[in-house]
Amino acid sequence: MTSVMTRTVARLLLLPTLVTALAILVKGYTQPGDGFSAGVVAALGVLLQLMVFGREEAEKIPGVRQAGTLAFVGLLAALVLAVVPLLLGDPLLTHYPSPGSGVLHFGTLEFVTAVLFDCAVFLLVFGFVVGTVGAISRAIEAADREEDPS
Amino acid sequence: MILILSAVIAVVFGSGAFLILQRDLFRVVVGIVLISNAANLFIISAGLTRGEPPIYPLLEGATIADPLVQAMALTAIVISSSVAALLLSLVYRLYVAHDSVDIEDVSAAEVREAEALERDEDPGRDPEREEEPRGSPGDVGLREDTR
Amino acid sequence: MASPVLLPLLLALLAAPAVLLAGTFGVRSAAPTGAAFAALAFGATLWGWMSGGGAVDLAWAPSWDLRLHLELDGLATLYALLATGIGFAVLAYSSRYLPLHLEHQGRPASDGVGFYFFILLFMGSMVGLAMAQDLILLFVFWDLTAIASYYLIGFDRQDAESRASALMALLVTGVTAVLLLIGALLLYAAHGTFSVPELAERVGPGPLLTTAGGLIAVAGLAKSAQVPLHFWLPRAMAAPTPVSAYLHSAAMVAAGVLLLGRVYPLLQKSEVLLDSLLIVGLLSMAVGGILALTRDVLKQLLAYSTISQYGYVVVMYGLGGEYGAVGASFYVLAHALCKSALFLTAGAVTEATGEDRLSGVGGLRRPMPLLAAGSGAAAAGLAALPLTVGFFKDELFFAAALERGPVFAGLAVLGAALTFAYAWRFWGGIFTGDQVSEAKRMPGPLVWPVVALGGLALFGGIFVGPYLGLALAAGSDSLGAPASVSAAYHLDARPENLMALGTYALGGLIVVARPLWVGMALALSRFGERVGPERLYGLTLRGLNALSDVVHRAEARDLRSRVAAILLPGGVLIGIGILVTPTAGTYRVGEVRLQDVPLLLALVPLAVAALTTTITKRHVTLALVLSSAGFMLALVYAFFGAPDVALVAVLVETVLTLLFLGTLRLIPYRVLHRQAELPTEKRLRKVFFATVAGASTFAVVWATLSRPAVENSVAKEHLRLTPDAHAKDTVTAILADFRGLDTMGEISVVALVLLAVVTLLRGGRLR
Repeated sequence: MTSVMTRTVARLLLLPTLVTALAILVKGYTQPGDGFSAGVVAALGVLLQLMVFGREEAEKIPGVRQAGTLAFVGLLAALVLAVVPLLLGDPLLTHYPSPGSGVLHFGTLEFVTAVLFDCAVFLLVFGFVVGTVGAISRAIEAADREEDPS
Repeated sequence: MILILSAVIAVVFGSGAFLILQRDLFRVVVGIVLISNAANLFIISAGLTRGEPPIYPLLEGATIADPLVQAMALTAIVISSSVAALLLSLVYRLYVAHDSVDIEDVSAAEVREAEALERDEDPGRDPEREEEPRGSPGDVGLREDTR
Repeated sequence: MASPVLLPLLLALLAAPAVLLAGTFGVRSAAPTGAAFAALAFGATLWGWMSGGGAVDLAWAPSWDLRLHLELDGLATLYALLATGIGFAVLAYSSRYLPLHLEHQGRPASDGVGFYFFILLFMGSMVGLAMAQDLILLFVFWDLTAIASYYLIGFDRQDAESRASALMALLVTGVTAVLLLIGALLLYAAHGTFSVPELAERVGPGPLLTTAGGLIAVAGLAKSAQVPLHFWLPRAMAAPTPVSAYLHSAAMVAAGVLLLGRVYPLLQKSEVLLDSLLIVGLLSMAVGGILALTRDVLKQLLAYSTISQYGYVVVMYGLGGEYGAVGASFYVLAHALCKSALFLTAGAVTEATGEDRLSGVGGLRRPMPLLAAGSGAAAAGLAALPLTVGFFKDELFFAAALERGPVFAGLAVLGAALTFAYAWRFWGGIFTGDQVSEAKRMPGPLVWPVVALGGLALFGGIFVGPYLGLALAAGSDSLGAPASVSAAYHLDARPENLMALGTYALGGLIVVARPLWVGMALALSRFGERVGPERLYGLTLRGLNALSDVVHRAEARDLRSRVAAILLPGGVLIGIGILVTPTAGTYRVGEVRLQDVPLLLALVPLAVAALTTTITKRHVTLALVLSSAGFMLALVYAFFGAPDVALVAVLVETVLTLLFLGTLRLIPYRVLHRQAELPTEKRLRKVFFATVAGASTFAVVWATLSRPAVENSVAKEHLRLTPDAHAKDTVTAILADFRGLDTMGEISVVALVLLAVVTLLRGGRLR
């Protein structure tokens, strides 16, 4: 059903989409964009594969099959980031380095724990979208199989 | 400006309210999404200032838009979209259970089930039902004690 | 030094999780683990008491004045020793009783682990309750005991009676616990502290004290099953016997009088409160005593006896003074020992003969001599015979009553006589006379706890020193002043001895003259059933159920009218609100600048799209129109100067469109087609409701948006502080840093929804 052009374009688009998502995530602190948008963009890239190539093909991409787990890993990471400052004596969800002190730079990438928090959110949103649409596609397959056992 | 914004929000909310009153569950979900949209628009328009995006380096002398309502609206958008996803899966589940997405069918099924439960006289439902048969006189304990 | 306080508490609290852990290695290891912890906690409490006690006072929630204030004083030691010591005996008993019980009911042995868990949870909460000096901490432990008791009473889940009784106990003790909270809050509002010692100093007599003290006292009286809130205790006998022996003789009902003893420094400042305690206690003594003489089921007899005996304690608190306070604590101790032994006896007897009624057993002294001896000592203790600790409990009681006057002395003798009578009825009915039923041999663990407890009762009769010492310390804490009371055998004609003799004589008379009064007693009990508080409870519950049914029927019939029922009155109320509030200057139209024109141009399609959704017939079109509305909204956000929001809105709308279309793909066309083809009925009504909703929204939103902007706002602060957070995008900084906890809440919601969606979409079709 899908033409050669669609398939080629879809295959080509996966990596740039993921890179764009990563860029949005990383630059989120200095320009518009944050963990949410990055997560959805990455998920949309994966979803394109899912729609064009079907679920089996899409699940070969690392991380897609375990989308749900990824979501909870993200949640856990966020919780850890929130609680660790408590152990160090600071209030909940304090970010390091604290205001005023210097920050390590790598180009425009800053090593701040808030970026880690955004990464956790990224994982969660990615897992959520891919997980939900994956569940829908599984349900569609199951329904189709029942109607047409051939 | 304020008048126009309020009018638009009211229109969106009103359409959502109209859809919520429909029989079709799918339309109800659409109505809920519309109401969430109206609410998010309201949050954003309730910002204390309206102007340039709040990103450094800030434009000198220009009004900067209120970043707090933007953050809140963002959170609200994400949450309301997850809720919409949940509602859609609920609609699907209801279809699977009742072969219909009509709320009349669903509530009729619910009433049927409630009546069936009452007829079965589930003893755990009404603890005081045990009171009536007791009251037998005599110098015996007035309740059957298990142990 | 904190360890005398913390060690027993920690041991007691850790016992429950330890048992759960031990249970994973097999049910048989759960009971010994629990018993070991109970014994250790007992020893730790004793050691802590011997080394002089101690206190722990930590700030728990300083902004709310909540403190973790625990102290191992006399009162705490008494009740903690009771809880752990009798807990140990009950656990030993249960190790053999519970497997038999579960076998009778055909339940798996692993259910026992839950049983032990809750018993030890109860023990831990009881120890904490005993040590707590802060009213809110007390309340927390109070409710913990109620929760544990709910599960324990309803342990036989499949039995409707157990479930109903558990619910009844929970409701009565839980609702009155709220009264405790209200009383505590009243005192806090007036004096700024929750700590009991501080309140004892600050609060003076007056209406506040009477009200708050009264509320707290009601909570305590309900927990100790006093009239009129006594009806849950006989029903709670549906629980397995170890539960009755522990909770309903020694621990849970003791918690009520523990509360009374703890806040006694406050209560004793009010004559009204003390007199009310007196009345309630006397009533309970009477009701409990008379009804105990009519009950045939063994445990019911003991239940009413408990009500009556705690009536004694409440009377002594009401009488006040040194004898009152010390006597009350001593009474609790003596009663706990004797009553738990009798409950365990009842359980063993029922296990052996299969009979749970007095009329079905008799003459069991021959097949079960040890049990007869042990429970004989306990029954003698209950009846206040000499050479048992019970003699002294009544001696102190008589002394307290005498201080008040001859009337009270007479009532005291009457009450004690009733106790003597039903104690004899119980023990004599089981162990004397002719054997009526077969009796199996009883395993050791079902007998020796009874013997041990009975032995302790005898020991107390001879060496009353240790028991009295504890009671003295407890009484001093209640009074707020050192108490000195002596209890010993005096072989002279002092009034207490005469009263004791009178008790035995009168008690014997009651036993012998049974046919004369049994008719009246039964009539009284029947009368109580008809008009008593239990009936009120039943009526209330039934009424609430009926109300809920009515509301449910109204809702389930026509679901959508419920939605309309919210929208319409809401709109009307808002309309009224707007009409009556002065609106001059509330509404501003606002100016339209040139740079706002793109925003306007984006708002118009949004409104049009929203309106279009109302008239679309087909579902796919509906989904697409909705998503176009969403995308227009994203454009609006962009023109508002909110790039982050616009980005997220576009992406989220894409995903949402996918989800909508995916759902439409899942639902077959015929089902959707049916919906689309339905005639739109009652359209005008819906339009009306929607218009009202929209109009009220318009009014509210316009009023809100017209308010002038605040000068110094949090938003400006966020803007200013963004560079300090090493960020350039303020919105991201707010999401990840300034208001990070909001984001945490949001991602938790998303994660939960993911779980729900995956579960809902799984499983495929059911037909």
